[in-house]
Amino acid sequence: MYEKILVATMGEYMDPIIEHTLDIIQERETEVIGIYVVETSVPFLTPKKVKEMMAAELTRKGKEILDSMRQEFQSPQHYMVQFRGVMREGSPADEIVKVAEEEGVDLIVLGTGKNLVDKRLLGSVSEKVVHSAPCTILLVRTG
Amino acid sequence: MIIALIGLLAISLIIVIKSADVFVDNIVEIGGALGISQIILGVTASAIGTSLPEFGSAMIATLTGSADLGVGTVIGSNIWNIAGILGISATVAGVIRTNKEGLTRDWLMMLGTGLILLFFMLFGDISWPAALVMVIAYCFYLWVLIKAQRKHSEGSNKDEKIQEEQLKEDNALEIDIKQKVEEKSKKEINRKTVAYVIVGIAGLIMGCRLLVYSADELGNIFGVPEMIMGLFVLAVGTSIPELVVTLTSAMKGLHDLSIGTVLGSNTFNILIGIGVPALLLSVPVDRISLTFDAPVMIFVTILLMALIKLGKGKLNRLGGIILMITYIAYAVVRIFVFG
Repeated sequence: MYEKILVATMGEYMDPIIEHTLDIIQERETEVIGIYVVETSVPFLTPKKVKEMMAAELTRKGKEILDSMRQEFQSPQHYMVQFRGVMREGSPADEIVKVAEEEGVDLIVLGTGKNLVDKRLLGSVSEKVVHSAPCTILLVRTG
Repeated sequence: MIIALIGLLAISLIIVIKSADVFVDNIVEIGGALGISQIILGVTASAIGTSLPEFGSAMIATLTGSADLGVGTVIGSNIWNIAGILGISATVAGVIRTNKEGLTRDWLMMLGTGLILLFFMLFGDISWPAALVMVIAYCFYLWVLIKAQRKHSEGSNKDEKIQEEQLKEDNALEIDIKQKVEEKSKKEINRKTVAYVIVGIAGLIMGCRLLVYSADELGNIFGVPEMIMGLFVLAVGTSIPELVVTLTSAMKGLHDLSIGTVLGSNTFNILIGIGVPALLLSVPVDRISLTFDAPVMIFVTILLMALIKLGKGKLNRLGGIILMITYIAYAVVRIFVFG
């Protein structure tokens, strides 16, 4: 049913997200695209060097996350999965939707589970994706 | 008049913060062109980058005869950095995780620095011998930081190259990987960079002068002592870079940067923010600073570690709220009881 799946994670709760994705795939041949978005927006008066450091650190973190995803999805027991990592820069929700449209994926898998206070203070990527996604979404409850 | 002075205070703060940014950015370029290691430049830039406004204000305040304002800015900034900024950041982000090794090193240095300051304050004015000890202590801390960074870089470079190759293979590395800091080759120093450094220094001096002047005048109009203006108005104002960096990095999950900014800044504020002006002129010590402000600074330093230990290596939202309440209590007591 799902041939091309976009799996988004910022590094937290990666295990349940991968577990749910593999459960959906089962024995079918599926292309999985892992996405990590480097969010570089910073407030006014942030020192330029610190902004560069943040971008470098987030990029390094993203590479590590995509590498871990690759190892999970491309293990011998999941021979039917073809994995590809994508790293983008910008607003996480916008970039997830954009990649989903560009790649024509059938399903987006991402985590959700922030409490009300966190949602108010930090915002929710999954809520934004839900409103503009071009395909079916699986929200994995992580909190 | 009052509105004009408040406007001047706000504008001079922006000038100071932006000038510090331009100065650090371009001085790092010059350092790179002169062949100074990127690790040394990176560590130094991040250590002083957010703290130059405090240093500039303390320096100008001391040199223009408002030493209380200078000492107040430094001690007030340190209390605000921990109790205010880390409190707000932990409350908003929900949690700030810590790295045990880095935290222990930076926290011990911050505590040691606070105790050194308190010790020298016991002898009255802070004069050049004490200042010399402080500046040497900061050089030692920088050396420790550079050594730790070098070790960290050696370990992570290899893994990173493999991960990057894999992403390139996927043809999916769609962003410009901003590790230009490491990749920058030796460039020539151009005139523009030198000009920016001069503009940065000029802006910093001019901005700090205006900042100190407006704070001083506002204090006179409202009958607020110099020390209180330094402890609260200038301290919070010059810590805006720390606030944006600590809060943003906590929200982005860059926990080491978040807590490291505060700990590094506090060490710099005392050792350089008081140490360098005291090399030039004796810095007088206010009695309430010795008996109340400096002990509160050490108390919040210890409280921070206690909250992290209670949170099992994390500063959680409850810890953040406790820190914020502590700051408010300190401000109320300091302003309304001690005046």
